[in-house]
Amino acid sequence: MAKKSRIKAKEKKGITTVKAMAKHVMLSYAEAKRAKKEVNFITSMVAKVDGKIVYEVSTSQFLSKNPFVQFKFKGANKGKELEFTWTDLKGDTRTDKKKIK
Amino acid sequence: MNRRKFLGLGLGLGVTAMMLPTALSAVNFRETKIGAFEGPKSHTVDDAMTELFGTSKTTAGKVKLKAPDIAENGAVVPLQISSKLAGKTVAVFQDANPESLVAVFTVPDNGIIDYKLRIKLAKTGTVTVVVQDGSTLFSASKMVKVTAGGCGG
Repeated sequence: MAKKSRIKAKEKKGITTVKAMAKHVMLSYAEAKRAKKEVNFITSMVAKVDGKIVYEVSTSQFLSKNPFVQFKFKGANKGKELEFTWTDLKGDTRTDKKKIK
Repeated sequence: MNRRKFLGLGLGLGVTAMMLPTALSAVNFRETKIGAFEGPKSHTVDDAMTELFGTSKTTAGKVKLKAPDIAENGAVVPLQISSKLAGKTVAVFQDANPESLVAVFTVPDNGIIDYKLRIKLAKTGTVTVVVQDGSTLFSASKMVKVTAGGCGG
């Protein structure tokens, strides 16, 4: 099953930088056919602080395996909790939380 | 008769509740613009861009794209996109894979266009980033050479 995402969130001068890595096989159609496995990849990733969206992306099959993303946003303080959620093609989701340092 | 009606009503309600999409995000481009991700209109950058934005006319500049000149491993190609534009939508395309759209970012109110991600490229190709600011599309592209085998080719 889905494993925990690795998240790092750091605030400096009002800008929060987040590095996140989701654990996922990310099998594209071509790769899945070759490996005789089912197609599956992350279709969307969302990050929230206090229920407010700070990062949002719709993704396709061409992100690398265990996709790593980095993003920045303004207006969050240290100690707040960042919520990082991904959804894959099969409808599986996983949410992980991390405090902003 | 009443009881039957009641049961039917309950069943109907249950179905409707299940049909409601579990909306995680405000904008899911895979639902609204599926044609840009898959299907006959997704194979070339121009077609996918037209599907997504309604036009494939872009202005070069104002967007920075950092990518390696030579990627030894096509499975992991690091990209960095940054821009000072107040655009709301950022899309990443490439022309090496069967479908050309890689990702579509929705920039929230307090977001900054400074994204890093890692993508897969099947062969040498051009990566194009498009930032939509109002009705104008700003773009940047870069050719990434993919060397299989790892001899540095």
